[in-house]
This record gives sequence, C-alpha cells and structure tokens, in this order.
Amino acid sequence: MTDTATIDAAQGYEPTANHYKTSDQGVALDIQNFNLWYGDKQALFDNTLPVQKGLVTALIGPSGCGKSTLLRSLNRMNDLVDGLRISGKVLVDGFDIYNKGVDVIALRKRMGMVFQKPNPFAMSIYDNVTYPLRVDGVTKKSILDETVERSLRSAALWDEAKDRLHDSALGLSGGQQQRLCIARGIASDPEVLLMDEPCSALDPIATAKIEELIGQLAGAYTIVMVTHSMSQAARVSHNTAFMYLGRLIEYGETTTIFTNPKQARTNDYVTGRFG
Amino acid sequence: MSVSNDQDIPASGAAGLAGVAAREATGGGRRVRRFSADLSAVGEPALWAFGGALALGIILISGFLFMIAWNGMTTFWPKPIEQVELRDGTVLAGVATRGGPYRVGEDVLLTLDDAQRAEIEGELGIASRTLYKTANFDLYGDDFRWVSDFEVASLSQPDDFWYFERQVWGVFIGRIAGLTVGGEPREMDRALLAREHTAARERFAQMRRLEQREIGAINHRIERERLAQRRAVLRHGEGSPQSQAAIEAAQASIAELQAEFQTLQAQVNEIRATDRQYRIQMEEVGGRVVDIELSQIVRLFPSNDLSLGQKIGIYFSRWWEFISTEPREANTQGGVLPAIFGTVAMTLLMVVFVAPFGVITALYLREYAKQGRITSLVRISVNNLAGVPSIVYGVFGLGFFAYTMGGSIDQLFYAENLPNPTFGKGGILWASLTLALLTVPVVIVATEEALSAVPRSMREGSLACGASKWQTIRYIVLPKAMPGIMTGMILAMARGAGEVAPLMLVGVVKLAPALPIDGFYPFVHLDRSFMHLGFHIFDVGFQSRNSEAGKPMVFVTTLLLLALIVTMNATAIIIRNRLKRKYADGQF
Repeated sequence: MTDTATIDAAQGYEPTANHYKTSDQGVALDIQNFNLWYGDKQALFDNTLPVQKGLVTALIGPSGCGKSTLLRSLNRMNDLVDGLRISGKVLVDGFDIYNKGVDVIALRKRMGMVFQKPNPFAMSIYDNVTYPLRVDGVTKKSILDETVERSLRSAALWDEAKDRLHDSALGLSGGQQQRLCIARGIASDPEVLLMDEPCSALDPIATAKIEELIGQLAGAYTIVMVTHSMSQAARVSHNTAFMYLGRLIEYGETTTIFTNPKQARTNDYVTGRFG
Repeated sequence: MSVSNDQDIPASGAAGLAGVAAREATGGGRRVRRFSADLSAVGEPALWAFGGALALGIILISGFLFMIAWNGMTTFWPKPIEQVELRDGTVLAGVATRGGPYRVGEDVLLTLDDAQRAEIEGELGIASRTLYKTANFDLYGDDFRWVSDFEVASLSQPDDFWYFERQVWGVFIGRIAGLTVGGEPREMDRALLAREHTAARERFAQMRRLEQREIGAINHRIERERLAQRRAVLRHGEGSPQSQAAIEAAQASIAELQAEFQTLQAQVNEIRATDRQYRIQMEEVGGRVVDIELSQIVRLFPSNDLSLGQKIGIYFSRWWEFISTEPREANTQGGVLPAIFGTVAMTLLMVVFVAPFGVITALYLREYAKQGRITSLVRISVNNLAGVPSIVYGVFGLGFFAYTMGGSIDQLFYAENLPNPTFGKGGILWASLTLALLTVPVVIVATEEALSAVPRSMREGSLACGASKWQTIRYIVLPKAMPGIMTGMILAMARGAGEVAPLMLVGVVKLAPALPIDGFYPFVHLDRSFMHLGFHIFDVGFQSRNSEAGKPMVFVTTLLLLALIVTMNATAIIIRNRLKRKYADGQF
C-alpha cells in the first residue's frame, strides 16, 4: 500500500518493471516510447513493449487504462479517430509503422484482428473467410478453397462448418461466429493476431474453446490479446503486460506477474484489491 | 433507520424478502396508502385522445379511398336511358347522373299552377331535381340538362333507345332509324348491325394505321431529309458544292417519298370511299336524324335492353378502352394510355437520375466529408430543400434545364432545326431531372440514416482485414445500408409520381402527339413532351369545354393514378424486403 502511495506521489510514474520471457524468434512488434493523445487528452504515456514473436502477450488492466487503445495502435485502427496524435515508434521488422508513406492497408493485411463482439459480415461463411484475400485481388478458386479449409481448420470450425460453407455466417452461434472471425483474421496468413477481449461476449464453453484455440495458434502466430479476465490471461498467455492510467506498469512472464509481481500496483490489481 | 429492525419481520421462511416489503410499506405509510392514482397521472384521457386521433385519421383516409374507388369503379357501368316527358310537352331522353334538393327561384314559381306552388311552398320552397345526360352535343349544344321533379309528367325506359359512343361529338342517345349497308338502305337488324359495326371498326383501324403509322413514317423521313439538307447548308455554307450536292440528294429522296405518300393516300381514300357506304341513321328523341358512318361509332348498345352478362361485357370493354387507347374528345372520352406511359416513364427516368445522385452525395457527406460546420450547413440546406414548394422547382427546371441547358444543346447539336427548339423546351428529360432535384433530399436523408446505422464493428472488421475504405463501403456498408436506401427511393418515387405542379412548366401537355418511345430512330426521344395522369386529372376535370362530362373520368383517372403509384411502390417494397432478407437474415 505504501508503494502505491509513493508512486502516486511521484505523479504515478516509475519505469516499467520488465522481466518478460524472450522468444528465440526475436521481437515481432517493438513498441518504443509510444504516446497517444485524443485531442488534448493523453491516453498513452511512454509505453515501451517489445512483443515477442510466436508468444501470446496479454494486456491487462482496469477499464480505461488504454490497453485497447494500445492494441488498436498496432494496426493503426485508431487512424479512424478524429484529432488523434501520437509520438514514439512501433517497429515491425525494423520499420516504423507510423512512418510517412507506410501503406496502412498493407500493414493491416499483415495483422489479423479479432474484436470484442463477433462481427461476421452478412455473407456466407466461405465469403467471410475469403474476404481478406478477395479485397487483396485474389480470385483463383483453388487458392480460396484451400484458404477456407486451412483457416477454418486452424480456427477449429471446419468440422462444424464444412457442410454449410455457403450458408449465411449470421446463422452461426456466438462462439462459432467468433471462431469464424478468428479464421478470417488468419486467412491472409498474417504474422500477428490482435485480439480485443475476444471472449467477453461469449459463454464459458465457447470461451474455453477459444482459449484452447489460442493455445494452438501460438507459435505459428504472434498473439496480442486484451483481456478483462485475469484468469484467462493466466491460462493462455506467456507474457503479461499490466497497464494503469495509460502507463505500462509491469511487463513480465505471466506466472511471475500473477504470483510474484515486481510492482506493488500490479500486486494490488492481480490480487483483486482494486480494478 | 437501522437495517436490523427485527420486530417488523414476520417469522416466515422468506424472512428477508418479507422484511424488505414490510419495511417499505410502513416506512412510506402515509403516502403509499392511497392505491388509486390520480386520473391525470395514469394518463387515461391522453390515451383516449391518441386513440381518437388515430381512429379519425383512419376514417378520413378510408372514406377518401372509398369515395374514389366507388366513383371510379361505377363510372363505366352502363346505366339506363330514361325518357322524360315534361308538363310543357317537351320530351327528352338521357341518363340520370346526379340530383338533389334545391331552392326554387321566384320567377320559376310564378310560372307554376297553384297546386304545385302550394306544394313547393309547403316544402319551404325546396324541390328536388335531377341532372340528365342528354348527350347529342352536336344537336343540343349542351350535354346535360337539369330537370326539376315538378316539371316531370311521366318517366319511362323504352327498350329501343340506344347509347352510341362516337369517335367525335361525344355520346349520342336515340333510336336507330335505319342502316345503310354497301350503299343500300336496310332494315334494322341487331345481328347485321353487330356484324357490320365490327367490319366498319376494322376499316377504321386500317385507315388509322395507314394514316398514323405509315404516312407518319414517311413524314418523319421527309423531315429528316429536310434537316440533312439544312445541316449541310449550315456546315458548308450556302451555295458551296457540298451543300448543293446534299440538297440535290435530299430533293431526290423527298420526291421518292412524296410518291410513296401519294400511293398510301390513294389507299386510304379508297378505304374511306368504301367506308362511306356503311352508315347508320340515328334519331334523337325529338325526331331529328343524324346520319354517320358506322365506323365513327366506337361502341353502341341498347341501354334498357341489356342482360347482366352484356352489361358486364360493356363494363370491361370500357375499362380496356380506358387503359389501352388514346384519348379523344378533348380527353373526356377514350383512354389514357399515353398518360399512363408518360407517368411511368417519367417516374422511372427520375429514379434513374435520383438514385445514383442521391446515394453518391450521401456517401460523400457521411463517409468522406470532414464532419464540421460546413458539412452541417450542407446537411441543413439539403433538409430544407425538401420543404421548397414544388412549383419553384418547376420554374428552376424551365429556366435552367429547358432554356439554358436545352438551349445550349440545341445550339450545339440541333442547329438545323432552329428556331424550332428540340431540347430547348419542356420535355420528359427535363421533367424527370426537375423531379429528381425535387426528390433528391429525401434520398440523401434516407441514405445518410441508413449509412450511419451500419454498425462500426462491421466497418472495423472489414478495415482490419486489409480492405480499403472504398472496399469497405462497397462490400460491407452499402449492402447493409441497401434496404434503408431503398426506403428512401420508395419515398422519393411516391413523391415524384404524384407531383404535378412543376411538371406543367417543364414538359407535361394536354395531348402529346407522340410517345417518348417509338419506332423511329433513335427510339427514345427524351426531348418530347408527354402526358401525365396527374395533369390529366386536372385537365379533364377543370380545363375542358365540358367539365361535367369529364367529371366521372376524374375519379377513374384518380383511381388509376393511385393504383399505379401503389403498384410501383409495392414493387419497390418487395425488392427491398428481398434485400433485407438477404442481408439481415438471422442477425441475432
């Protein structure tokens, strides 16, 4: 408690405690001193977060701490917001995605994204999965067929959907819809999969399935997921980043964060003392 | 107040719940005790008012529809001809159309005998009268006559009165005095009359075809040759060898066409000569006889001697004539086919203009334009445009489209026809553009609503897939918004199809000589003026020489216009619902 008070006294900022697990494949997304403003209001303060390739990174923190904002900064979805300003860098393969002249559309093709609520398009299952390829100009049927099967298999939806590929995707259940969105997210074979609270609108059984799926996808994809459920973060992620009021408080290996956090505020949060 | 106020809690199983309820009841005691609330608080009177307003609205609308439908449906039913003998000895024959009580004037009263006067004065000077359609305009100079009940000596419905619908001069009511078949006078015989009438109508149709279609085609070609000649002179200058050659070529083909024209004219004359041999002598009730060609009679029947089946036959044959032929007799008789065609063509053309224009504008406003003061200003202006009186659009359409744009088009492309305007006057193109302008706010507002109703998650999902903004709009947003856009189109169509005032300035005419689409190159003539059902109603009912005769047609045409608009809207609604099912099926 006294530590929290100290941090508050020092305007709530202390350098991030880092003890994350490193990947032997290197860094997928290198977030460096990233600041973000909505108009005059600063939402992210100096975040530095090297996301490790092939691992699952969970972003946790109380509502409004900026974890979704940070996630959406990674594929520049925040560009849609009026009056947005940023500083700092997000490096992918050494290139800053916020450089002038970066093709945002090409960038987004390298990152799949799954949203809080399942948002399948009002088309058939087949068309949903192939959408990222079709907007990319792929028309060859063999490639599309192959992609549908691979993505749906990866998203553990193939067995349920293979007989109704040309039925409307809106006829699927909530959990199936979310797995379809994951299949869509990985259809163009991205390097990174961004998940914004992918299970918050789902029932426990569907949640368990998605979590199992995340476990299977890790390794092949780098996954960054925002979650409100600390138990979920503990179950599926390798590294966990704890954010508070737009600041990255602690970024470390998941087991350590939940059992032996280095920052008092992290400890308060993961033990349920606030948030 | 402490929570552990245990005395109030009854010793039952549901102690906690019962405790809560009891505490509230006792705590708020004095205020809650009265269980019947104040009448105004319940809102019952307001409910009655709402229900009453709705009921009133429904009664008004259904009464209005019933009136139009009843008058429209009964107009074509054959009604009996009555022979009316008046006390002063005059005899007249006619169809009773309407009647009612009226106040008898002093001067009329003076002419009556004492008994009658006493009777009318007993009724406080009110007598009733009937309006008879006596027809025979060529003989009487009027189609209708009021007859007061006290004038009538006797009424009868003789079987030998016939009702003749003529090609010109309107209806004739009278007896058949005789027939002339092949120049020979013959005894009246219904079978012979029916046979000869059919043959005569065929001759009539043949003459019409020759005169209108074939001779019309020749006239059209002659006109084209004349224009080609004029164009050559304009292009190459007067007296130049090129124009000289063109003139010679044109003159040659005109001479050829003139020869063709002569042949056709001879054919027509031949048929007409035959046609004159087949005549009918009609005798009006006063004994005067009118002798005309049988082919000049569209339809004839003995009104008082018809079986139900024959009446039904006449009823439907009149409906068919109404929707499938051209008007005659200053639009008070015949059909409204050109007006139906004009209304539908103009409305569809308007949709073709308004749909892309409105949707694109709304797309830009909602999806691309920076939302700020200027966008709001544009939006407010668009909304206000919907409230501008439609005649203002008519004036604009005439001034801008017809005179300015059309005038320039004439200068550039139709110079050979000047000073006769081609596009520089009202026409179906300018009319539909004017209406498109009139209805575009509706489409813009509806489209904007539909676009903003597309959930953000859909757009984000698409953008996250690496789709560009345009692809997102094209594949995700537009299909999802389509039913809403269609609703806007339906509203626009309904408004456009029913609009008359601006059309009167930009191309609607009383009688269009030709349809905007016909067999002559380039087949679609957007410069032509056209007929419109809405204007037809106005014209027939209130602008014709004989508006009493046109009155029944007003209701029939109104009924038809309503039916047409309902049909067009229903079609659009069906299409929209298909789209809705396709895009919103099983959403949740």
